[in-house]
Amino acid sequence: MKYGPLIFLAALLAMAGSWMGLVLVPQLQVGELVQTNTVPENATYPLARPGLASEGLQVYRANGCASCHTEQLGQTSTTCEVVLAAVGTNQSALLSALLKVKPELGEATAKTMLTELPQTVLVATNREDADAVAKDLGVGGAKARIRIVPQGPDLARGWGKRRTVAEDFLFDYPVMLGEVRIGPDLADVGTRRPDPNWHLRHLYAPQIEVKGSVMPPYRFLFETRRIDQAPSPDALSLPPQLAAKPGYEIVPRPAAKALVAYLASLRVDASLFVAPYSVATPAATNQPAASTNSAASASTNSPPK
Amino acid sequence: MNPEPTQPQPAAPEPPRPTAERRPVPVWLFVLFFILLYWAMFYFDQRSAWGNQYVYAPYHSYAQLETFQAGAGGGNALGKQFFDNVCALCHNTDGSGKPGQAPPFIGSEWAEGPPARMIRIPLAGLTGPITVHGQEYNLTSMPAMGAAMTDEQLAAVLTYIRQSFGNKASEITPEQVKAVRAQVGSRTQPWTVPELQSVQ
Repeated sequence: MKYGPLIFLAALLAMAGSWMGLVLVPQLQVGELVQTNTVPENATYPLARPGLASEGLQVYRANGCASCHTEQLGQTSTTCEVVLAAVGTNQSALLSALLKVKPELGEATAKTMLTELPQTVLVATNREDADAVAKDLGVGGAKARIRIVPQGPDLARGWGKRRTVAEDFLFDYPVMLGEVRIGPDLADVGTRRPDPNWHLRHLYAPQIEVKGSVMPPYRFLFETRRIDQAPSPDALSLPPQLAAKPGYEIVPRPAAKALVAYLASLRVDASLFVAPYSVATPAATNQPAASTNSAASASTNSPPK
Repeated sequence: MNPEPTQPQPAAPEPPRPTAERRPVPVWLFVLFFILLYWAMFYFDQRSAWGNQYVYAPYHSYAQLETFQAGAGGGNALGKQFFDNVCALCHNTDGSGKPGQAPPFIGSEWAEGPPARMIRIPLAGLTGPITVHGQEYNLTSMPAMGAAMTDEQLAAVLTYIRQSFGNKASEITPEQVKAVRAQVGSRTQPWTVPELQSVQ
C-alpha cells in the first residue's frame, strides 16, 4: 500500500463532503423547524394529524403506496393577478382607469365588466405591475385585490395550489415523499377528494372509480361478512358485478379506515410565508369553484402516461 | 487484410517512435478548476438564497419572497408575523402599547434609538419603570421574548417596529443582533433603564 495515507485521505474527504451536503447542511437549514403561522390568517400550522390519520400513515407506508405516489408538488414560478372586487362611487373614473390598464377593451365591454364583479383584470403579471395597477384602479372607493397564483406543471394538473414545503410534513414520521409518479401526486388529495367513500371504493376496486387506472386493488383491507341484523353503515356500495352475494356485505377493516383518514388529512391548502398563495374565496375569483374541481378530477381521472 | 502480396519497398529510414512524455498537469488548469468550483459554489448558494431556511424554489432570495406575500406589497412580512404573535400581546398590533404598562412604539425614542440598546431589550427583558413621551410605564417585568428567536427573526421583528407605525429608523440586520447577543452572553437578569441608557 504505497498510497495508503492518500487513499485514506481521499476516502475521508469523499465521506465528509457527502455528509456535509446530505446531512449537516439540511439539518442546519430545517433541523429546527417548528410550527409556524398561516399568512395572513395567522392560524397555527401545521397541526398534528389526527390519531387515526397518523395510524393511516403507517398503513400507507406498509402497503408501499409511496412506490407509486408522491407527496411533493413543484412550482416553477409565482405570478400575480389583479381582481377588481368593488366598483366604489366614482364609476366613470374607474372606467377610464380600467381602459388605461386594458386599452384593448372597448368602452362597452369595460362597462359590462364593471357590472359583473369580481372581475379578473390582469393575469400572469409580477408584483410591481400588479401593485401599480391595483393602485390605479383604486379610485373613488373601488377595490382591486391582488391574488398570488403559483404556477407549475404539477399545479396545472390540479394537484394542488402551491408547492409543498418542509412545514407540511413537520409531524410525519417517516415523511412519505415518494419519488415515482405511476399514480397522481397525493400531497393535496384531501382537498381534491374529500369523500371517504370514494376512497374506500377506489381502494377496493380502483377501476370502478378511475377508468384505465393501473392501481392494484387492495381488497385485503376489506372483509366480506354476513349481515347479522342490520347492514353496517360502513358497508361499501359497489356495482352489481362486484357486490357481495345476498346476505353478505363488504366492510373496510380498521387499516382501510385509517388509510382513508390519512388521505383525507393530506392537504396543502394553507398559505404560508415560505409558500405564499391567495386562498381562493368566492369573492376573490370570478370562476365558480365547480370548474376548478372538474378540471382537477379530469386530470386525475386520465390514465397515467 | 490485404490479400495481394505487397511489393518490396526500398527500406526507408524509420521515423523515431513516438513516446509518451511525462509532463505535469499545467498549473493554469488547476487554477481554472478552482475558479470554476468557486463560481459554482456562489451560483448554487445564490440560487438557494445562501441556504436560507425560508426560501424555497422558485424564489431566489428572501426579498423576492417578501414581494409575493398576500398582504400589502413588499414590507417586512416575517417581522409583522412575529410582532403580531409576540409583541402585540402587550404593545398592541398598532404599536400603541397599554397605558401605564407597556410603552407605545409610535415615535418612541427607544424604538427609534440606538440599535444596540433596542436589541438588548428582547434578549433579556426589561424590569422597572421606563419613560416614553414623558409618561411612565411599568409592567414590573417584560420577559425575554426574543431570547428564543433566531437572529434573523429578531432582526426582522425589530426592523418592523423601527419602520412601522410611522417610525423611520434604520434597519436592524441579523449581524447586529448576533453581535449584541454575543455581548449579552447568557444573561437572563432583565435590564433596567439606567443600564440600557449607558449603551449607545
